[in-house]
Amino acid sequence: MRAKGKKPAPSTTRAAGSSSITERVDALAEVLRRHELNEIEVEEGGVRIYVRKGGGGELFHAAPMAAHAPAPMAVPVHAPAAPASGPSAPPAKSTDTSDGNVAYVTSPFVGTFYRSPSPDMSPFVDVGTRIKKGHVLCIVEAMKLMNEIESEIEGSIVQILVENGQAVEYGEPLFKIKVG
Amino acid sequence: MFKRILIANRGEIALRVIRACRELGIESVAVHSLADSNALHVKFADETVCIGPAPAPLSYLNIPAIISAAEVTGAEAIHPGYGFLSENAEFAEMTVRCGLKFIGPPPAIMRLMGGKISARKAMVEAGVPILPGTGLLETDDQALTAVEDIGFPIIIKASAGGGGRGMKIVKSRDTVLGQLEMARSEALAGFGSSDVYLERYVEAPRHIEVQVVADGQGGVAILGERECSIQRRHQKLVEEAPSIALTDAEREKLLAICEKAMRSINYSNVGTMEFLYEGGNFYFMEMNTRIQVEHTVTEMVTGLDLVREQIKLAWGERLSPTFTGRFKPRGHAIECRINAEDPVKFTPSPGRITALNLPGGFGVRVDTHIYEGYVVPPNYDSLLAKLIVHAEDREAAIRRLRRALDEFVVEGIQTNLAFHRRLIDHPDFVQGRLDTHFLERFSTENTPAVA
Repeated sequence: MRAKGKKPAPSTTRAAGSSSITERVDALAEVLRRHELNEIEVEEGGVRIYVRKGGGGELFHAAPMAAHAPAPMAVPVHAPAAPASGPSAPPAKSTDTSDGNVAYVTSPFVGTFYRSPSPDMSPFVDVGTRIKKGHVLCIVEAMKLMNEIESEIEGSIVQILVENGQAVEYGEPLFKIKVG
Repeated sequence: MFKRILIANRGEIALRVIRACRELGIESVAVHSLADSNALHVKFADETVCIGPAPAPLSYLNIPAIISAAEVTGAEAIHPGYGFLSENAEFAEMTVRCGLKFIGPPPAIMRLMGGKISARKAMVEAGVPILPGTGLLETDDQALTAVEDIGFPIIIKASAGGGGRGMKIVKSRDTVLGQLEMARSEALAGFGSSDVYLERYVEAPRHIEVQVVADGQGGVAILGERECSIQRRHQKLVEEAPSIALTDAEREKLLAICEKAMRSINYSNVGTMEFLYEGGNFYFMEMNTRIQVEHTVTEMVTGLDLVREQIKLAWGERLSPTFTGRFKPRGHAIECRINAEDPVKFTPSPGRITALNLPGGFGVRVDTHIYEGYVVPPNYDSLLAKLIVHAEDREAAIRRLRRALDEFVVEGIQTNLAFHRRLIDHPDFVQGRLDTHFLERFSTENTPAVA
């Protein structure tokens, strides 16, 4: 997926709140264990912390947040059609909106949307899943071919916009992703 | 009957098919590109699927996207309209392989009649007159021998060509080989095949074509001829039915030839056999295995809905015995193609239609996808509307056409409406003195002074 526009401007000055990051990661890891979760992500005081179970121990990833209002960005807003006299917008698998660091992964072609490799397997991603570039998000079946749709952006899944087994058209938004 | 049909096209013909579906109680699925999200065929269809971005190769010519759209919407058949994939035998084959019906002839017939060389051969075997010419030219010597027999001028044509492209007119022996080489390389570049043939070139023919309908099970109806001599670079602008050039005896002969030919290849669905007509003789040119833009004038003089017939035939219905045979036209019909184009330079004129008045009244039909506020995208052909009039005879039809053209208002973009108004006042048009070069002479006489 291609993300248009810029990433949020990193906050360079802010300290990560009153308690140290290590303390907070420890606390989150405890929450993870207690609730048998695979991953967790919190935002607080301009800091976002992401903790995921994996390998032998917990991985964590913390990224500075854009402080309060996102820095002004020149993000092109693509309407689905181009009612102006010019030609329509070029195809984009993901499209930024004016909503700052949120991107939409859209279907690259017409087909049927599947969340998992087969009906008895768990979904590729869920709400909250951290994704990197190349992470398989779903399958769009077209003409009996199972096409794995990979992410071209890094971030986390905010919302899955289509039901498993639903028909999707070209350009239809599939996932809402928080970029970063 | 089908419950649901997907229409692999856009513009007025997509709407035309949706209308036929509605009247047959069939649900329609419109496919569209990103540039056509606000198009009328998208608004009027029962279901819509966006199949790709604006460029046609990525949307309206995108076979996997169209088949997928049919599959995910549960359509049972695909109507290809005209242009785009309508004469693509591979698309028809793939449609059939995916368990869908293709609304058109079987792929084998599309292939036979789609290649000009194979079509000529099949028509000669069926007793259809063709211009003296060759089959596939494999060697230069073949070409030189052939021109000895045929004489000059000759025309070199690409077997896979169409719409007037891939043609070279040769007037003397010393330029034959040079033009042959050019025709081959242009054919390869334009159509992916360097196969060419040559035939005698007719200097001032009329373009006369015959509408056929057949069920592939012995039922053949010949719905009469259309005169389409008014062309600009082989693009038809005005079409009418019947042709005033034909005597009753000539018409009878032509329709009989077509009926025999369609039985000979066991044609099915609707199609058009195109002929050059000169001095009382017909020469078969090519066959279009699809519905044509100008099918409307035949509908007006026969009272038959050709798109409905296409759908019923694809479902497997036979022509009713009262339908078969040769049809006599009732009255006279003329169609003008209203295009979004610069009236002087003929360059396309896309943009927003700010004001629109469509003509109406007795004997007037307008097939169009435009509306006030519609934006004509720059990505596709420039056809905006087909204005069709029907009256008791040609003279009355021309008067009605003039009246309807005067009522027709399109603002915001440029159109050829004014061009049509001048054209139908030309004495040669009024008196029916037409040939395929009429428009070249007319344009030279009528180039407006440019400020």
